[in-house]
Amino acid sequence: MERLSYLLPILVYALLSIDHLVPRLFGEVVRSNARWIALLGTVGHLVALLLAVVAHGGTPGFSEALSAASLGMMAAYALVSAGDRMRPLGLVIAPLSTVLLSTALVVPSRTVLALAETGASPWLPIHLGLIFAGLGGFTLSFAVGLLYLVVRWRLKRKQLSGLSRLPSLEVLDRIQFRAMLFGFLFLTLGIAAGGIWAAASLEEAWTLDPKVIFTLLIWLWYGVALQVRLVAGWRGRWSALFSIVGFAGLVFSLLAFNFLVSGWHGYGS
Amino acid sequence: MAMGAEQSIFALGLNHHTAPVEVRERLALDEPAIRRHLHMLRHRELANEALLLSTCNRVELYAVPGEGGTDALLEWVRGFRGPRGESLEPYLFRHHGRDAVRHLFRVASSLDSLVIGEPQILGQVKEAVRVADESAALGRVLNALCRRTLHVAKRVRTETDIGRKRVGVGNAGVDLALQIFGSLDGRRALLLGAGEMGTQVAHALRSGGLDELVVANRTFERAVEVASVEGGTPISWDRFDEYLARVDIVIAATGSPKPIVDLAMVRTALRKRRYRPIFLVDLSVPRNIDPRVDDLDSAYLFNVDHLRQVVDQGLASRESARDRAEEVVEREAARFLKALARIEVGPSIGVITRRAEELRQAELSRSKRLLENLDEDQREQLDALTRALVKKVLHRPLQQIHASAHEGDELRLSHLLQAFTEEDS
Repeated sequence: MERLSYLLPILVYALLSIDHLVPRLFGEVVRSNARWIALLGTVGHLVALLLAVVAHGGTPGFSEALSAASLGMMAAYALVSAGDRMRPLGLVIAPLSTVLLSTALVVPSRTVLALAETGASPWLPIHLGLIFAGLGGFTLSFAVGLLYLVVRWRLKRKQLSGLSRLPSLEVLDRIQFRAMLFGFLFLTLGIAAGGIWAAASLEEAWTLDPKVIFTLLIWLWYGVALQVRLVAGWRGRWSALFSIVGFAGLVFSLLAFNFLVSGWHGYGS
Repeated sequence: MAMGAEQSIFALGLNHHTAPVEVRERLALDEPAIRRHLHMLRHRELANEALLLSTCNRVELYAVPGEGGTDALLEWVRGFRGPRGESLEPYLFRHHGRDAVRHLFRVASSLDSLVIGEPQILGQVKEAVRVADESAALGRVLNALCRRTLHVAKRVRTETDIGRKRVGVGNAGVDLALQIFGSLDGRRALLLGAGEMGTQVAHALRSGGLDELVVANRTFERAVEVASVEGGTPISWDRFDEYLARVDIVIAATGSPKPIVDLAMVRTALRKRRYRPIFLVDLSVPRNIDPRVDDLDSAYLFNVDHLRQVVDQGLASRESARDRAEEVVEREAARFLKALARIEVGPSIGVITRRAEELRQAELSRSKRLLENLDEDQREQLDALTRALVKKVLHRPLQQIHASAHEGDELRLSHLLQAFTEEDS
């Protein structure tokens, strides 16, 4: 029943995806209001997600995790997509959000092992909220990083026609950096919240949980990316590449880890 | 009395296409003068509605003519004289209906400007609308027209590249700089060689908001000269490589037969500036900057051919933007006239129903004697009966009028309106 409330966001995301993939299909109205449409979708999505969590008695599962990831991405897009020049970001983010949310709607909702153990806890929304806010930041950093590489490539290859419709290098670099910083801060807090919660309620060796270890590696990766940028001036292309690789790791962790490897973050069969 | 929507809007005036500057400056109106003229036009019933637009390139009147029609307005304009007392007749353009609408749309969209795509005209049109509005000179027709005009101008600006592209090597350099830096605010540039081309680019960057300009030239005096004109700092030629790390933009335009900026110089500079991007423009032939500089990570080097490419694209895209803009204007003009037809049939329909009601009353009073024999109840019934009859008879024609107004079928509309509003002959 609660999945019905996802109708609005999924339709909105699909609309935005199609509008980006097939230009001029819907005309000016969708195009010029893409940001507000995205905002509408995210608000509807947030409501639907909360309903779903409540329906699960406060113990969300894999489906809700995917849904939250999709929400984080779309929210990040809605925040920065002011103006025509940022529009190409939607080409990456809108389909990604749509696919994630659609997947969320078809997978069976299973609860992670740790939750089965501890039951609902106020730490859960804090842990997840922070992590997925961080994921939103990293997604934005990834999409902006891609766009940076495209603009840079065209400047280097001297393919200058129509280039002025894309954002400038420095603007992209700045957003890419800030989004990564944002993602890093929230991921740090999210990991910390998870740690405090686990230390308080789990007795076994949760620090050896594969997902925890992998996530710490990703955290380290982004930490290094920020460090070399600030200290050694590895900006622009390097920073973009860092965020692309890091994001691949995050997606892998989100989709595969909870299934392939057993652990506290694994889903019971 | 039914005037087709096509004919109700009249535009009259002169602009840079039709009149030389001596005539335009003589006719230019300031705000109090515009208010005076608007008041006078309405007061003498020359125009039911009026809008006056006066800029340095045009003086134009848009009006819904009064009883005297367009002739009376023309007569009024003939009262004005050129700088040598000559008649303005040869300088005037006049547009009726659709042409007038299209003209105002084109003016506001900057398609009629001296420099097509320049942004000031929209503000000037808005100003003219405000003045006319405050002078109570806008009625139903011009109000709708003005609102539509601002909408069309905005559409043209956002949907086409008409205002975006600039032309010229200097501006091509600015476009590329903006593509890298986003804004020239706080940026510094180094000009190597104070020749014409280099100065042109430096000048464009300066007008684009560049913060600081450093000029180096083999003959120092020339560097001082250019620096003072463009508001920069002259430096001695053999010190320019010290500045490489401190500037974001390098423009090389000297007559030197061999490269003066080599790979090692730029590499060192980049390391010093911690790989913040540097934009280099090489305008010289033979080239002054080693082409391999472009292979460095944060260096973006463009030569004179690349700039030419940007200029050509600017021209091409401006051309196609113009075609797109004209299309938008054309479609919007047609749309507006359709909407206007709907606005305009309102009063005509009022006239028709009023006249029918008068006829009904007249017929009823003609049968006064018969009616006197009826009691109150019967009289009421008869009244209702005649009312219903009139309504039924008019139903189809009114429907047709609405329909043809909606479809923009001017011919059918004017026939229908004529059939019902012409005085008995």
